This record gives sequence, structure tokens and C-alpha cells, in this order.
Amino acid sequence: MIDLSTLILTLMWGAAIGCIYVLLATGLNLIFGVMKLVNFAHGELLMIGAYMGYSVCILLGVNAYIAVFFSMGIVALIGIAVERLCFRRVLGSDKLNEIFVSLGLILIFDNVAVLLWGGKSKRIISPFENMSLTLGEVSISYDWLIAVVFVIVILIALLFLIKKTKIGMAMRATSQKSQTSMLMGINIERIYIFTFALGAALAGAAGVLYGIIFPFNPYIGALPTIKAFAIIILGGLGSIPGAIIGGLLYGIAEQTAVISLGGIWRNAVAFSVLIIVLVLRPKGLFGEKGE
Amino acid sequence: MFTKDIISWMVQSTKSTKFYILVAAIAFSLAIPLVVGAPFLIHVLTLIALFTIYASSWNLLASSGQGSLGHAAFLGIGGFVSSLLAINLGIPPIIGIFIGGVFSAAIGFLIGLTCVRLKAWFLGMVTFGFAVIAETLVSQFDEVTHGILGFRTPLLVPSGLSFYYFAVLIATLSVFAIYFIMKSKIGLAFRAIHQNESESRMIGINTVKYKLYAFVISTFFAGLSGGLYAHFLRYISVSIFAAGNSFKPLMMSVIGGLGTIEGPIIGSIIIVAIDSLLPNIDKFLQPALSPLFPAVSFVGPPLRFLGLGVFLVIVVIFFPKGVSSLLHKIHNYFRAETKKANNIERK
Repeated sequence: MIDLSTLILTLMWGAAIGCIYVLLATGLNLIFGVMKLVNFAHGELLMIGAYMGYSVCILLGVNAYIAVFFSMGIVALIGIAVERLCFRRVLGSDKLNEIFVSLGLILIFDNVAVLLWGGKSKRIISPFENMSLTLGEVSISYDWLIAVVFVIVILIALLFLIKKTKIGMAMRATSQKSQTSMLMGINIERIYIFTFALGAALAGAAGVLYGIIFPFNPYIGALPTIKAFAIIILGGLGSIPGAIIGGLLYGIAEQTAVISLGGIWRNAVAFSVLIIVLVLRPKGLFGEKGE
Repeated sequence: MFTKDIISWMVQSTKSTKFYILVAAIAFSLAIPLVVGAPFLIHVLTLIALFTIYASSWNLLASSGQGSLGHAAFLGIGGFVSSLLAINLGIPPIIGIFIGGVFSAAIGFLIGLTCVRLKAWFLGMVTFGFAVIAETLVSQFDEVTHGILGFRTPLLVPSGLSFYYFAVLIATLSVFAIYFIMKSKIGLAFRAIHQNESESRMIGINTVKYKLYAFVISTFFAGLSGGLYAHFLRYISVSIFAAGNSFKPLMMSVIGGLGTIEGPIIGSIIIVAIDSLLPNIDKFLQPALSPLFPAVSFVGPPLRFLGLGVFLVIVVIFFPKGVSSLLHKIHNYFRAETKKANNIERK
């Protein structure tokens, strides 16, 4: 029914889409692990990141892949502002409040983007537009491959940061027991800011990569958030390797569903996966500890 | 036994100020069309009545600690069931809206079964996902639902003033029903579960049962309001499942006051008024602001949503109990003042 080249293409596409989701999910997971906070507006940071990449490309005329770093920096600053002004104030109160603040932030980000950039779809033009690697019958666009490489590099840097540096150790300590780490002399407020900025930066990078591969508009943020969520839950809360495997699995499952069932099922599949996993294994496929 | 309970509720609740405020609000809503007769304002008032039911249903669910992010699913199910029954089987919409509510509650029961084990954000995700799945299914089975293009729904009661009074009647009944539920032991259990689920399980509350109750009751009213909404707009399509419709009751309840009976009413007045009345000032805003934002052709709508977002964040951060808590503060302040005055007189 499905021939080999379609299968390989599906897997490749799934992996590439999955990679972008992995970045988003890792950021979300990091914030959740350390702050016990769920940022529903995380996809909005991706969207802002995409627009930042777009603007940097146009204004400074730089290569789209260099814009990734600009975007990471700017979105990290936005993340700091969001954490200080909004989430800090509701942290530790009713969990529903965090959801409400996130929804308010979604409205704010979406409409600021509409006001600044307009509602029309945009795309970041990459230097490797329309170039692709051909292997037999299968041809893969360079942009997909570069996206995958980028994600791998960023994730390795992140793992190094978390496992080997002092601030990474402080983050891990805070995620285990925030009060005890406060007693050990860790400034957990600073750790919170750093974590949120880091998560936002990952979303910013994901945004530019997304913008290179897909057209985007101010309203694209909501679905990636939820997919990132599905991935986190699939991979287990707070587990970064889980998020990576979950992201790849998810991307492939989504592409398979689109090819075999049709395009309108793309999003419904996300939620079906989410619901089935939550009902059968509330702690995720690879999760050790859960809510 | 049950009727006795209801009577004792009624006797108890007539002692509270809130009850009289509700009665005054109903009297006001019945009288207001006599003062403002413009069809557009009647339309806005009817929308407020409809969204009061919808937001109250969301609020009831949230009072048990379950914040749904996909209530539009139930709004849509109610609307579609009622409209399709009327078109295909000729069932009069006045019965259809209740069938829609019951159908929506049945689906709500099934969703509730998957949700009872989940907390805050997981629940939010699953309910949001359910709205997307419902939308996908309705689009997939287009031959049955005619959802993609939408269709014209039959008349429920003549539109205009009579529809307004009908909506107010249903809204009043629903708000009263929800009020009595919230005042009853069930409502107490909801609040206990919201505050601390494991502790309320410890003191003997069957949390699963009560969370399901919350789901079924809430989705019934959401479906009911969906039926009314579809027959009011005279049109229904899959766009009813949009995320905006899921977030509206949330914003209304949170801005008005979460977990209170008056909150969703105040919230729906605020949000519907912003949605329907503010576009009138767009004409004046447009020439002033469009040079600032050259990218957009219409400045009004995004600015309005931006304002709503800022408003929501400010309310959650600074008045977590919503606008109604401000009213309570004012009320208490005046009561304290009159008490002081009385004491001085007595001395």
C-alpha cells in the first residue's frame, strides 16, 4: 500500500517536525521540572521567535540560521519579562491561576504580533531554498536536515549545561526540592528566571526553525504548545531524554496519520495520543515520577 | 427527602443578600427592554443571557477544581444535536435544546470518566483536545452533520424581544439551579475537592463521584446554552468549536469571580459588552492609530483582544476573586459605615 520511498519520507518528515517539537517540549519540560509551572503560552514564544527571526533576517539581512541565535536572545529576554511580571506573582497559588495567566498571555502575544506584523502568513527565506539532497527516489530538503542538526547541537549544549555546570546543578537541585536548595544557599528566584529564560530561548530557536520550514501567522502558537504537551506526557514529566524520544515518536505518528488518514486528522491524532496515554499511563511512557 | 432538601435550601437562601440581588437582577433584566428598545441592544442582551448560562456551567465545573479548556465541544454538541434533530426529524427546537443538553451531558459523562484522574493542566489539555477531536469528527462526517459549510437552523421562538424573554427565562432557571447546587452538599463537596483533593477523599468524600457530577451537570447546561445559541444565531457550523468559544466562559468566570454565582453573570456582561459594543468606536480609532500599525488593516479587533488579555492577567494577579470581590468589598465597606453610624446614634 505504502511504498518504501513514501515510508522513508514520512519517517524523515516526522523526525524533522518532531525535532522542532522536541525543542519546544524540552523548554516546557525544563520550566515544569524546575518551577512546577505549566506555561500554556509557550507556543506563543515559538511564534514570537519565528517573527523575530523574520524581522532580523529582513532588517539586518543576515543568514536565516544566524537569526536563530538573535531570536533565542530576544525571546529569552521576553521570557524573563513574562516570568517576573506575570508568573512570579501567581506561582504557588491555585494551579488554575497559572492557566488563566497563560491564556491572558496567549491573547496578548497573539494580538501584539498581529499589530506589529499583520495577520498574513509569512515565511523566513533560508539560504538553501529549494535545494535538496537526493538519495535514490527520496529527496530531502537541506532545510530539514539542517533543522535536525541544529536541534541536536542545541540539545547537546543543553545537556552539558544541565549536567556539568554549577548553574545546571542548582537547577537540578531546585527541581528536586526547592526549599532545601534554598537552605543550601541557592538563590531559587534567580534559578527560576534562568530556567524560564532558557526555556524561552529554546522556544525562540524552535520558532525560527519552524518559520524556515513552514509558513507562519500570529495564531500558530496554540497547537505546538499542545503537541509539546502531548510529547512531555508521552515521554514522562521532567525527563529530557523522554521528551526527545517522545518528540520523535510523536512527529512520526503524526505524519503517518496525515498520510494514511488525511490532513484534517493531523490535530485530532495529537489529542487522541495524548488522551490515550493519559488514560492508560498517566505517568507517561518513560516517566518515573508523576503528578 | 429530596423535596425537603430543596425547600430547606430555599428557606435558607432567602436569608442571604445575594438572593435578593439575584431577584433584583432578574427584575432588571425583564424591565430593561422597555427602556432600550433598539433591536441591536436586544441582540446584545440576549447574548448576555446565553453566555450567562454557558459561563455559569463552566464556573460550576471550575468550582470543583476542574478547569475545562474545551467547553466549546459541549456548546457545539448541544447546538448540533438540537439543530439536526429539528431539521431531520422535525422535533421542535424547544424540546430539542433539552435533548441537546442531555446528549451533551452523556458525552460529558464519558469525557469526565477519562478526566477524573487528571489534575489542573492535564485536564485542561484533554478537554481542549476533546474540542479539537469533536471538530474533526463533525467535519469528517459532513454528510450527516453538514458542519463544514454550516446550515440555517430553524426558529425556536420568534427572534427579537420574545427570544430575549425566553433566553432570560432559561438563564434564570439555569442560574437558580446552579445556585442551589452550589449551595447544597454537592457544591460543598466540589469546593472541598477544589481546595484539597486528597484531604477531601480522606474525610469521606467520594471525589470521583462528585467530579463526575460536576462534569455531567456542567456539560448539560453547556449543551443547553449551545442549543439556544444555535437557534439564536439561526446558523451553525464547525466554527462553534473554535478555541475562542472555549476560552470565553473561562474569561467571563475569572473576570467576574471564580466559584461565585454572580461572577459568570458579571463576566458575561463585561465580555459581551466589550465584544459587541466596542466595535462602534473602531471608526474613531482607525484613523488615529492605523499610521502606528501599518501592518494591519483593522486596528480595532487586535487591540480589543490585547486589552482583554491584559485585563485577564491583571484580574488574575491583583483580584484573584474577580470583579465581584470588588463589589463585595464595596458592599462590606458601606455596611461597616452604616454600622458605625448606627453605633454613634445609639451612644
